[in-house]
Amino acid sequence: MNTHARSNLLTALGLLTAAFVLVGGCTSAAGGTLSATIDREIKAGWSKEKITPPGRSSDAVFLRRIYIDLVGMIPGYEETTTFLADTDPEKRAKLIDRLLVDPRYGRQQAQVFDLAMLTRDHKLVDGTVGHRTRGRFREWLAKQFAGNEPYDRIAAKILQAEEDGSQLYFAVYANTDEMAAAVSRFFLGTQIQCAKCHNHPFETWTQKDYHGMAGFFARTVSVEAPGKPEVTNQKGKQYLVGEKEFGDAFFPLEEIDPKTKKKKTIPIKPKFLSGDELKEPEPPKDYVEAKLKPNELPPKPAFSRRQKFVEWMIGKDNPFFAKAAANRVWAQFMGRGFVHPVDDFISSSTPSHPGLLKAMETELVAHHFDLKWLIREIVNSHAYQAADLGDAKDAMPKFYERAPVRPLNVEELTASLHIAMGLGVEAALKVEPNQQMLQYLGKPTDGQGRFQGSLTEHLFFHNGDGFRGMCKPGKGNLAEQLLTGTEDWGKKVERMFLSVLSRPPAGEEREQFVQYLGADGKDPKLAAQRIEDAMWVLVSSSEFRFNK
Amino acid sequence: MIQDLHQQHHLSRRSLLKSTLVTAGGMAVANWGALFHSQTIAAEAKRSGKRCIMLYMEGGVSQIDTFDMKPGRPTGGPFRPIKTNVDGIQICEYLPKMARHADKLAIIRSMRTKSVDHGIGGYHMHTCYPSSEKFPHPEIGAMIAKYCENPQSDLPSFVKLGPAGCNAGSGYLGPQYEPFVLGTDGKLPGFANPSAPPAVQDRRAELLKSFEERYAKQRPAEPFASHREAELRTIRLMRARKAFDVADEWTKARERYGNTPFGRGCFTAVKLAEAGVPFIEVGHDGYDSHNDNFPVHKANLSVLDPAWSSLLQDLQDRGMLKDTLVVWTSEFGRTPAINGQGGRDHFGRAWTVVLAGGGIKGGQVYGASDRDGFEVAEKMVDEGAYFATIYKTLGINHRAKHYLGSRPIWATPEGSKPIEELLA
Repeated sequence: MNTHARSNLLTALGLLTAAFVLVGGCTSAAGGTLSATIDREIKAGWSKEKITPPGRSSDAVFLRRIYIDLVGMIPGYEETTTFLADTDPEKRAKLIDRLLVDPRYGRQQAQVFDLAMLTRDHKLVDGTVGHRTRGRFREWLAKQFAGNEPYDRIAAKILQAEEDGSQLYFAVYANTDEMAAAVSRFFLGTQIQCAKCHNHPFETWTQKDYHGMAGFFARTVSVEAPGKPEVTNQKGKQYLVGEKEFGDAFFPLEEIDPKTKKKKTIPIKPKFLSGDELKEPEPPKDYVEAKLKPNELPPKPAFSRRQKFVEWMIGKDNPFFAKAAANRVWAQFMGRGFVHPVDDFISSSTPSHPGLLKAMETELVAHHFDLKWLIREIVNSHAYQAADLGDAKDAMPKFYERAPVRPLNVEELTASLHIAMGLGVEAALKVEPNQQMLQYLGKPTDGQGRFQGSLTEHLFFHNGDGFRGMCKPGKGNLAEQLLTGTEDWGKKVERMFLSVLSRPPAGEEREQFVQYLGADGKDPKLAAQRIEDAMWVLVSSSEFRFNK
Repeated sequence: MIQDLHQQHHLSRRSLLKSTLVTAGGMAVANWGALFHSQTIAAEAKRSGKRCIMLYMEGGVSQIDTFDMKPGRPTGGPFRPIKTNVDGIQICEYLPKMARHADKLAIIRSMRTKSVDHGIGGYHMHTCYPSSEKFPHPEIGAMIAKYCENPQSDLPSFVKLGPAGCNAGSGYLGPQYEPFVLGTDGKLPGFANPSAPPAVQDRRAELLKSFEERYAKQRPAEPFASHREAELRTIRLMRARKAFDVADEWTKARERYGNTPFGRGCFTAVKLAEAGVPFIEVGHDGYDSHNDNFPVHKANLSVLDPAWSSLLQDLQDRGMLKDTLVVWTSEFGRTPAINGQGGRDHFGRAWTVVLAGGGIKGGQVYGASDRDGFEVAEKMVDEGAYFATIYKTLGINHRAKHYLGSRPIWATPEGSKPIEELLA
């Protein structure tokens, strides 16, 4: 069978599988009830909005999508050809199960959560300074996700900050205001920071709510302490988190203090968001807070306000936590949350699919915050496996009528580049994005998460070693294998496309690339340049830049 | 389906041919949008109007030793004032060339700013907000790039040359408005130089283009378009690299501008503004004179004076001054009091910035410090008013609203108002 016929066969098989699943409607071998609920509700949304339902993704599109989403890098050549040739109608569900136990799953999930929690903007975790610290935090997170620790436990452990490697969160959000705002946004999906200075314009939050939240964190301290080299940052320090016995959040009054010429403030009791004030024991009367050195933690307090917050947050009746978690995980795989942005639940606005959000929240609690279960249900749904084609221009269509288009983050891009160049998973896992990659590709979106192509990104694609250098034949990479290989150009082009884009070339592409690669005849130097060019074209394309 | 693809192929071939042109060297290049053609660009820039060149004195420039002199006062220091071409306005004797351009200048002697250390001051005077907010505010250059850029231009819309006083970048406005940073000598960063010979560049660009067009056909999503557009702009930029190469003209201009990196930066800024770049910042460092304030400032002013004055002259001669705002600023001023090392320290309570050109009523002093320069005596100007004035002269709504996630944020804080008396 020549390659052309083979790829046609692959396509035909893909279509056949798609047809079988659509007609038979039985992906539920792996997807349980939630998966079915997702599809029912999303379909209801389409008919309500009079949207033409999308087709199903091709096998190749699904394969690349699920690899990037679950393990943070594209599939290798062998994995791609094996999957595309597989005629098992359950092959998607089976692949999902395999990837959920792949060691890369925890790492990828950790990267996604780490970036969502800490962003790239914070000095402490930016670039190389403190990088090792961030690496440790990610490793700690990866261990939680890989072991499928329930999400409420992971959240509690981050806020308790006692486990080795888990302390970075409070080192980044080091003062009371930052803690209150960050915890509310990430774990409760709620923005209260504006209420620090004024009652919220579109929301019920008052300044009392804000300062009530802040009260839980007013005693939390993060210090930099000396530590063993393997756990410290570049300044030789590790971060430790503790809590003092005393300390309050202060509420500013309108009245001006004649002495300080600033607004008078009064201490305010911790208050659970939209709930009661914290009942706490009177602090011991004769207690004197120990004098501490800058790098020393206070002794563990008899009563921990932060611990009380954690208990409330993951408590069974918490009105925010499970909803925010369900919405966040859904958005991770579907591009946007039912509430968008994910950290902006506002009581006055309706989620895009309120019934589905409610169902997901309820089931997540019933499944004891089992993230792998939730993710498996989502990615087994038809909604997740929708086609990447359609008229919608929006990167993240509101009714999920097309798969979302999201740029690979710099970690995914770096790893995928290694896979594309045939360097293997081990190499892809070993390499960290370098300073240049972080600088030019680290923040590809604007304040609202919209992708923006930039001159520096493309100049880097064109001329930076990171991309161009990797496309050159050398060190046994794919380009070198193609240069020295004896197959005809048609086979080589096929291998190139399957390696980089996880799909065979279309007829016209094959023709064009074969022509391009063979244009200089057999001269090895000229051929090497043309192979580099062709590889560069594929990794510079928007097909490679995005997950879709 | 194969047939369909073939048809598409022919179509795109035809449209490609239609938009192909031949360069002077005879090489065919694809015209994928706007074409780099300096005259076209100059015309565009003229049409779309406004630009801004910001001269940034890194380290904190002394107001008393430049534009707000206190002769005869204990804080006055040894420099003497001289007359300018505007009656009643006197400036430092070491700015003699600038004295002949005072009719173009609006000297604001009543700046009061809050962030008086280098990192935070640089941030505040570039973004209009304190860095303590830990919010990704964009630099003024990114804001101006967003609202004044010519989308057809082949050149970046926000260029920085020389020492930088701030690296906040484009913040929430996104990577499209990131600064394009040139070397002190105005040279392009290494990675802007093509890594492949032009013939290879062209052929692989064409392969990429047809690949992308085919892909885009069924995928109209915005991110893909943004990616393709940035690729095309990058290729155009690499072809337009000549705009940054001022070496030939510089040999003639350096006499006037002073043969210094800052002088060359100012000259490059004029050339880039002429070529359509809406915002260029030129940095001049070494003003942080905690020791030996007077020798330090005297030396710096000898670099500043010819460069700045030639920049204004060239803008005027080219008919560009009316559309080009020239800002002279710093992270803060310096103390009136002279310390034990003959130095002046950081000072934000009453200092001076200067605006000139596009939209500014020149030949005036706005506001005043008190007798010894310790406090603002009249018409205090804070960061908000300063930024609002700049934005207004450039036709930018100073309360333009943007979002970080769902949180609204404005170009200048609530209550900021442009200073009408400064506007032409």
